[in-house]
Amino acid sequence: MFQNRAEALALALPAAVFATLVFLLPVAILLSEGFRAGGGWTLSAYAGFFSETLNRTVFLRSFRLGLEVTAVSAVIGYAAAFAIVNLPPNGKGRMIGLVTLPLMISPVARTYAWIVILGRTGIVNQAITGLGLSAEPLRLLFTETAVFIGLLQLFLPLMILSLISALENMPKDAIPAARVLGANWFQVFWKVILPLTREGLVVGGTLVFTGSLTAYITPAVLGGSKVLMLETLLYQQVSVANDFVSASVIAFILIVMSFAANILLKRLATARNRR
Amino acid sequence: MKKALIASAALAALSPLGATAADRTLTISVYAFAQDDFKTLVYDPFEAKCGCNLVVETGNSVERLAKMEANKANPVIDLAAVSMADALAASRAGLIDKVDTAKLANFTKLYDVAKDPNGDGMSVGYTFYATSIAYRSDKMKIDSWADLLKPEYVGHVAFPNVTTNQGPPALYMLGQALGKDTPDLKGPIEALGEKKDDIVTFYEKSSQLVQLMQQEEIWAAPIGRFSWAGFTKLDVPVAWATPKEGQTGGMNVLVLTKGSKNQDLALQFMDFWLSTDIQTRLAEKLVDSPANSEVKLSEAAANNLTYGEQTAKSLKLIPSAVALDNRAGWLKSWNEKVGQ
Repeated sequence: MFQNRAEALALALPAAVFATLVFLLPVAILLSEGFRAGGGWTLSAYAGFFSETLNRTVFLRSFRLGLEVTAVSAVIGYAAAFAIVNLPPNGKGRMIGLVTLPLMISPVARTYAWIVILGRTGIVNQAITGLGLSAEPLRLLFTETAVFIGLLQLFLPLMILSLISALENMPKDAIPAARVLGANWFQVFWKVILPLTREGLVVGGTLVFTGSLTAYITPAVLGGSKVLMLETLLYQQVSVANDFVSASVIAFILIVMSFAANILLKRLATARNRR
Repeated sequence: MKKALIASAALAALSPLGATAADRTLTISVYAFAQDDFKTLVYDPFEAKCGCNLVVETGNSVERLAKMEANKANPVIDLAAVSMADALAASRAGLIDKVDTAKLANFTKLYDVAKDPNGDGMSVGYTFYATSIAYRSDKMKIDSWADLLKPEYVGHVAFPNVTTNQGPPALYMLGQALGKDTPDLKGPIEALGEKKDDIVTFYEKSSQLVQLMQQEEIWAAPIGRFSWAGFTKLDVPVAWATPKEGQTGGMNVLVLTKGSKNQDLALQFMDFWLSTDIQTRLAEKLVDSPANSEVKLSEAAANNLTYGEQTAKSLKLIPSAVALDNRAGWLKSWNEKVGQ
């Protein structure tokens, strides 16, 4: 497409300069706070952070919830994406529109809707008491379950859209061929669909995991102090304690976790492909 | 076309009106809420009166103080509205100047509590609010802040998170009720920690509460008076408690940036904001409770605001120095007892 490499680089230069000046540089300056103490470079802020039980609890909770949301969204996402790509063109367009629709609504509005749905008088509790599963409405709001549901609803569309794209790029005759050769549906998924859609899973998984880690309003509203996560802890450190060093440490941990998730997912996908 | 543009620019620069508007620009930094009302009631009338430009910046307190710190050598903001504690933080950081109250014609009209909230001459209160308990009067009775922790009520209570403006004042009053009244708030935080599984939520946004009350998710919550209007519109009976320990609250103040080149204009704006006319208009629109003692309000507005000299005197405010010196400790204790 380009005559030479220099031409391509020249075209990318304005965007690269802009991103460096307004994003990378400020982030680097902020993150460096966590490595500087008494004028020198040190990891003492990180050691201090992980020495506190609360911080370790919050770190592990955030990591676990991120993994759970990613895993469940992958399972639901594959089912939904597979169903959608097999629809006729009109139906497919409508379904993709429906999947995309929640992304156009503010996460605040979507989170507040869960307060109605999961409340004592909400439809979930009405169904539970109506079916006789419990005499009293259950407390579903302001629990880890509520945060999990809120995050799943928030990021599931990203996984479905990534997988739709991946499934559409898959050779059309791959599944019938595997079936003709005697593979059952589990084998078809494990040995054909999964390897051929790994890029979509990596993209979707990274988006969902990173989004779950860095979401603020959903954990804050549906969990609050009872389900403290890294992002809510970061906000507290900045807005209340005015402790930018701790905030920088948390921000760095979040970035590392996001990159690690992406690398791990890529490795898993590549390893799966080699076998 | 190019010539016409150059000519217009030259004319604008040469004309006295153009010069005035360009030279007299006041930049203020304020809370983001009710900006449409502030524009109509305060900013536009002031611009018309002073013949100057008003640039309005908004953001939360932390962002605004961080910006003031970053531009310390060459201030961008001339005047800011912040909380009492943040005003003291700005003062300690050398970010603000003393307010020359001799230049404020409306200064003497302020309630005493608003004249010099931090006792350092660096700020003037423009509004204050009471914090008490909104509760379902058909379900419970509140005589004391400690009633929130009664076994029959605690499962229906939302308490403000320590990170919110209402958190520390509510803890302060709970501590008074429990007889554990120390600046570190350890007593009330421990008491809440023991009941954390029963309490419905430790809320972050007061806007959540009306919905939670409507859904019968909660029966009671400590709130600021500025959130009260939403509760009065519910189709369930909600009352404003008058606990025996009293009510707490908070105050927002105006400060002048150190080294600002527009301090006289900033003082004019401050005086305008504190005037009886502007304070009355803001109060009647339920934007802010008046700090000006000469403001007379309709019954409807008075019932929804923190109003009157007796109320102003009765509020038990946490001293700014106590808040500043203990904030990090409160958060640590809170996360240890409530957050895990």
